Amino acid sequence: MLHLLRIDLKKLTNYRTFWIVCGLYFFTLGMTTASGMEFLKWLVRMGASFGTQINIARIPFYHFPDVWQNITFVSGFFKAILAFMVVISITNEFTYRTVRQNVIDGLSRYQFLISKVLTNILLSAMSMVMVFIIALVTGLIYSPSVEMVDLVMDLEFFAAYFLEVFAFLSFALLLGMVIQRSGLTIVLLVLSQMIEAIIRANVDDYVPWLIPYFPMESISNLIPMPFPKYVFMEIQDYVSISAVLIAGAWTFIFNYLAYLKLKKSDI
Amino acid sequence: MEAVLQIENLTKNFGRLCAVNKMNLEVGKGQVFGMLGPNGSGKTTTLGMLMSVVNPSSGGFKWFGQESTNDTRKKIGAVLEHPIFYPYLTGQKNLELTAMIKGATADQITSVLKLVELSDRKDDKYKTYSLGMKQRLAIASALLNDPQVLILDEPTNGLDPMGISEIRELIKKIASDGRTIILASHLLDEVQKVCTHFAVLKKGNMVYSGPVEDVNKGPEIVEVNADVDLSEVLNTFQGASAINRENGYFEVTLTKGIKGHDLNKFLFEKGITATHLVTKKRSLEKQFLEILAESK
Repeated sequence: MLHLLRIDLKKLTNYRTFWIVCGLYFFTLGMTTASGMEFLKWLVRMGASFGTQINIARIPFYHFPDVWQNITFVSGFFKAILAFMVVISITNEFTYRTVRQNVIDGLSRYQFLISKVLTNILLSAMSMVMVFIIALVTGLIYSPSVEMVDLVMDLEFFAAYFLEVFAFLSFALLLGMVIQRSGLTIVLLVLSQMIEAIIRANVDDYVPWLIPYFPMESISNLIPMPFPKYVFMEIQDYVSISAVLIAGAWTFIFNYLAYLKLKKSDI
Repeated sequence: MEAVLQIENLTKNFGRLCAVNKMNLEVGKGQVFGMLGPNGSGKTTTLGMLMSVVNPSSGGFKWFGQESTNDTRKKIGAVLEHPIFYPYLTGQKNLELTAMIKGATADQITSVLKLVELSDRKDDKYKTYSLGMKQRLAIASALLNDPQVLILDEPTNGLDPMGISEIRELIKKIASDGRTIILASHLLDEVQKVCTHFAVLKKGNMVYSGPVEDVNKGPEIVEVNADVDLSEVLNTFQGASAINRENGYFEVTLTKGIKGHDLNKFLFEKGITATHLVTKKRSLEKQFLEILAESK
């Protein structure tokens, strides 16, 4: 297993685009999530000039345990950039036809896929660790008091975040494997959210119970949006088991379909 | 003879097109096996199936007497169609990757690079290589892990005459180590020079297979001319099965058992002295064209 991961990492770590895309991903992810307080301060200044009073103290964005859900939710938007890297990595194998040579040289098709899936797991895990560190550091800075109870509360959001990223990367891998061209795959990857939203809107009129089972919907259901609670609305502040099961099932389906596709096609 | 490769009823259909039709073939250990055929005759598709990148429609094959797995392929070095590498990696890194897949050691990389004379350029990116260098790197990569069988598909494609002769020498050198080589080519001269056995493919059907030595076994052809017109005299010669005029000479195909000196003797008895009499060596090219024509 580790051997297969090392094979795929050798392809990537010598590829400049990989470092640029990943560097930009971690940079923008870090900067955005860590500078929320600056954004709030800016909002206050803007509000003051229009004669509105906003009290930052009333918005405990970075307080434990709120910070866990807030930051994992916001970080989720950035997973698309990581997915682009996955698309580039897999479509390169088809445009250069190196997948063919890998198999000729002695990888089985299954091993080839596993090497890509392991990289996806690694990228998801690294992203999770990064987000955890940012949330921990910002939480320690901005929380008025740090209680151990608050600190260890709601940590399941990180497991949900990992699944969210890994599920989406699995989808990107499947799409790249089916389409095999990077440009078209990236366009479809971006549009897939919208296409599904359109379908959902139509399905909603007839079979509303089906909605949570849609793939993109299930991925975004893993971490519910936390912000409405700051205007005193009821929100779901936990990870629902059914959301995890549905998203987990889709992740398995994406990877299994990728396997079937690779197994059946002439490469 | 120990069989390295046995192919049984191997078939591949692309929709309605039959690319390879019920092929049966056996390649023995130590053979240099040439696969001949015009473009689109199914050579690469066949090799693709043997290396598990093309799924057969029916039939099967065995490497070393066993069903093929990915571990079997690690013992086979293959270059199909054209060299395939990661363009952004250096030659060295590309070979390191192949070595990781095949389970070859770092020493082997150094030695194969030396063999194909690419040591000087190993740290340059693959995309900067010339076609000849790409071909040589592909052969180097195929030689990693000391393969029992080497499969080369048009290895001299696009090379200059010097490159062609270098690759030919390389093939002979590798073959002299007792390794089996399967060589697909449409350059007949090349196959005749290096191969021990050959097969001819046409539109997915294998129309001939046998040793290269047999090429010279067929009826003899003699080119003859004299100061007088020979057309009538030659028609009375019993040992001729066909007479053609070509390039100002008479080309006489002799019947079985008749040799060039019989014709010479016949002419002399008729009071004619030949000014030109050459027994032509049959080329694979001629044989190949004949096989293709016969199989229509």
